[in-house]
Amino acid sequence: MIRNFLIYLAVLFAGILFFASMVLFVIPAFQESTVVLIGLSSSSSESGVDGTDKESIEADIKKLQKKLDSFTPTNAYMIVNTSDNHFFLYKGKQLIRDGICSTGKNEKLVSEDRKYEHIFHTPFGVRKVLRKATNPVWTKPDWAFIEEGLPIPSARHPSRVETGTLGKYKLEIGDGFMIHGTIYKRRMGMSVTHGCVRLLDEDLEAVYKTMEVGSKVYIF
Amino acid sequence: MKKNSEEGFDSLFVEEKRGSVKYIVVIIILSVLALTSVYTFLSVSSVRGRMKLAQDQSQGSPQINSSLLPQLKEKAWIESRIKMAANDSIGLSIDLEQRRIQLELKGVVILSSKIRDFSISGFFRKMDGNVYFNTFGTPLTIQQFTSSIEKNPLRIVEAPKDTIAAQLAADAAAKKDSIADENVFWTVKLDRDFDLDIQGIDSIAEAQNKYKLGKGFEFERNLKNVANSFQHILRFTKPSYTPEILISIPENEAKAILRALPRKALVTIRI
Repeated sequence: MIRNFLIYLAVLFAGILFFASMVLFVIPAFQESTVVLIGLSSSSSESGVDGTDKESIEADIKKLQKKLDSFTPTNAYMIVNTSDNHFFLYKGKQLIRDGICSTGKNEKLVSEDRKYEHIFHTPFGVRKVLRKATNPVWTKPDWAFIEEGLPIPSARHPSRVETGTLGKYKLEIGDGFMIHGTIYKRRMGMSVTHGCVRLLDEDLEAVYKTMEVGSKVYIF
Repeated sequence: MKKNSEEGFDSLFVEEKRGSVKYIVVIIILSVLALTSVYTFLSVSSVRGRMKLAQDQSQGSPQINSSLLPQLKEKAWIESRIKMAANDSIGLSIDLEQRRIQLELKGVVILSSKIRDFSISGFFRKMDGNVYFNTFGTPLTIQQFTSSIEKNPLRIVEAPKDTIAAQLAADAAAKKDSIADENVFWTVKLDRDFDLDIQGIDSIAEAQNKYKLGKGFEFERNLKNVANSFQHILRFTKPSYTPEILISIPENEAKAILRALPRKALVTIRI
């Protein structure tokens, strides 16, 4: 009796195993092969599409490729990869410099007591260099005080002004975001900023000298 | 004599029992085979149905000259990327011919990665020119993201009450800087009803090991399919079929692309 029961169990188990392997591996693999589509006729012809020929299509391709290439700026532009914290400086299609950077830490600072919140994130998309400056002075916004657990001073209070923090140069890219230097060099290559793009001194100098006002910055 | 007849009766009983065991075993085997055959038939007909639908949808477009297919594909690829460039947000272009996956913004390539490995459904390989242009002639739109890591993580931090709490928070944040060993894979549903699966791998061997350990993309996906398949078997309905493209690229790039793409990003594909 027990022997028979074991036989049934073994056969049932083998059946389930067989079925599972078919459903899991064999049938999906079969579905992905072209064999299952045999007999479904192709509607392609040998007589051309609307009278087009090879030469005219190739001419169209050249024209379209030229149009696509024209989207790439001919002057300097910069690409910032916030996921890898890496920047690339291009002139036309030529890469002229790349290196590590630091970008937004993707944090939302919330203060329930002060009814304040601010997101520290480097915005994705394309921006332009709006202004350039040497030896920039940082006017600390409210979040800088909230983050340090300090009371918020008045708008023109001297404690808002800080020199040296942004390095030797800054390039403003709009909405308060900048490309600048840093004194926190140990944390370069990490997502630690409040949204700005931090560069090392030599990279910042190269970027400052290469990028003009109006140059594009692509951020992703 | 009597003894012999009793033995004969017993042996008949044993034989009858063996016979019934055989019957039950045969019934189980036949049931499994029948179930598998029905399921195979339904699975195959779902693929064929999908192709027929695609062919019906492309009917009415001008006939494609098969000898000009490479040129027409090239033209459609560039045209589609130009259309994508008209959009203000980041788009994805996938060139399986050149084994390259790119992020593009306003026509500028902002990330370009070599595809390490890829596989496509037979559906795509069997497409005729008309179905191809109907599917890939214009940019596709992402409908839904599913990923093994958070797409756009945002940590919520309570502002410190004083400078001492602020210093402690800064120290704690500094310790969290080590890069986590993440298993990156994500899939998107595209508007022309097929899936694009991206798997982050740093070597082919790593992908195979992940599969063996049940961590990889394909393993998880197949497991989900089983539950879905059983539901169809029980109802004797056609299992749904969605053709897919599986692409393996370096892990950090898989992550960067996932994070960069908007929820409804445009995608251009050349096969």
